[in-house]
Amino acid sequence: MNAPLSDADIQSQVFGIIAKQAKIDAATLKPESTLKDLGVASLDAIEVIFDIEEHFDVTFPDQGTNFDTDTVQHLIDAVRSALDAKAAGPEAAA
Amino acid sequence: MSAGGPRRVAITGMGAVSAFGEGAGTLWRNLRDGNGGIRPLRHEDAGRLRVRIAAQVPESFDPAAHFDERTLPLLDRNAQFALVAATEAIAQSGLDFAANGLGQRTAVVVGTGVGGETTQDEQSRRLYGENASRLHPLTIVRLMTNASASQISIAHGLRGPAFCVASACASSNHAIAQAAQLIRGGLAEVAIAGGTEACLSYGALRAWEAMRVLADDTCRPFSANRRGLVLGEGAGIFVLEAMEHARARGAGILAELAGAGMSADASDIVAPSAEGAAAAMAQALAEAGLAPQDVGYVNAHGTGTPANDATETRAIRLAFGPHADRLAVSSTKSMHGHALGASGALELVAVVSALREGVVPPTANLDRPDPACDLDYVPGTARALELHAALSNSFAFGGLNAVLALRRA
Repeated sequence: MNAPLSDADIQSQVFGIIAKQAKIDAATLKPESTLKDLGVASLDAIEVIFDIEEHFDVTFPDQGTNFDTDTVQHLIDAVRSALDAKAAGPEAAA
Repeated sequence: MSAGGPRRVAITGMGAVSAFGEGAGTLWRNLRDGNGGIRPLRHEDAGRLRVRIAAQVPESFDPAAHFDERTLPLLDRNAQFALVAATEAIAQSGLDFAANGLGQRTAVVVGTGVGGETTQDEQSRRLYGENASRLHPLTIVRLMTNASASQISIAHGLRGPAFCVASACASSNHAIAQAAQLIRGGLAEVAIAGGTEACLSYGALRAWEAMRVLADDTCRPFSANRRGLVLGEGAGIFVLEAMEHARARGAGILAELAGAGMSADASDIVAPSAEGAAAAMAQALAEAGLAPQDVGYVNAHGTGTPANDATETRAIRLAFGPHADRLAVSSTKSMHGHALGASGALELVAVVSALREGVVPPTANLDRPDPACDLDYVPGTARALELHAALSNSFAFGGLNAVLALRRA
């Protein structure tokens, strides 16, 4: 098992994934941006979520997140809590 | 052939397999009574899936009770549903295809989104999961998308044009529209038409999960707290017949299939367009010779996704203008689920029955009004309403729209 990722690691990796999908420079991304602000439309947003899930090997809950209007920070937080749940045990990771 | 104007098309039989079991009458009574067909998912892989609910055909559906030992191995669940529904519809019509060569002049047009998905999934599991080197020899004949149309033609000796129509969630309505055109164009006297779907395989459920459009509680069309669609399965099959043919033999006419409208959004692969949907509704009205105020009921596509229901509301307003506020609009998907390529056919059972009985089926689970959905959706309980004509909407991923216009017989 690798060392736990720091919040800064998660942020930079999430930024990288979004920047690639949105075809923008990661340096221009801010945590308060929404995917919609970044021009990532509905189907692209689902792909961003998929890429993030694949990258971190986590599964986001189906509901409770509106990927168009939630901020990038929200996604970073979701990764953090999914990774924490996974570290807590296999049952919690489902 | 009759003089003046295109031939009119009667519906003289209908059959269904749905979350309520077998029978168009069973389906209608449950929809009219506002009963839910959405239940916890029964699936051997349910423990691994995130999706927890579906509107499945109940376990009481027993293929062995319908098909003999020689036929059953040829049939995916998709074709089983279609055949059972077709047999019911044909029995109701009272048609004898062996007499006077009628079988030669009878078409079969069946809509399905994904065809023999159960077979595809089972055999893929053998191939990739179990590293089997041999697949079942009937894999192709079971999974081919046209299997249901072919099996109906074989079972009933129907030798006219036969094919399947695939347009995802609009497949049934496109199929019924094609069948009506075959009759109007004189290529067939009778057409067996509708849709079938058996799409609840492990692979397909996983793919739907990935798209993040499935509700985890239930299907709540037009409700502010709607959380997505709920998958279903089943089949609806109808006997369409040239009106003069039906009248000449004194057939019971359930309704007139008065028109159809079809359009493509030509925009986004998933996001719906109000303009595209409205164009299909306007076309259906025009072909049927109906004015907006002739229509009392619209059976909505009403999937329960945030995007569909608000967009469809705008589309209905575009197509109907001020009369939209006097329409009864309901989504029966709240009860029979979203059976993809079979949906339009299950919904047509509701529309035909509504016209006959003068009762509009409700939208179930609509408990929180949404300002973006501001039509009369007949929430919770059915409503007695004298109907002259009705529309049935189906809009597919891919931006494909097909709307049927029905007139009371």
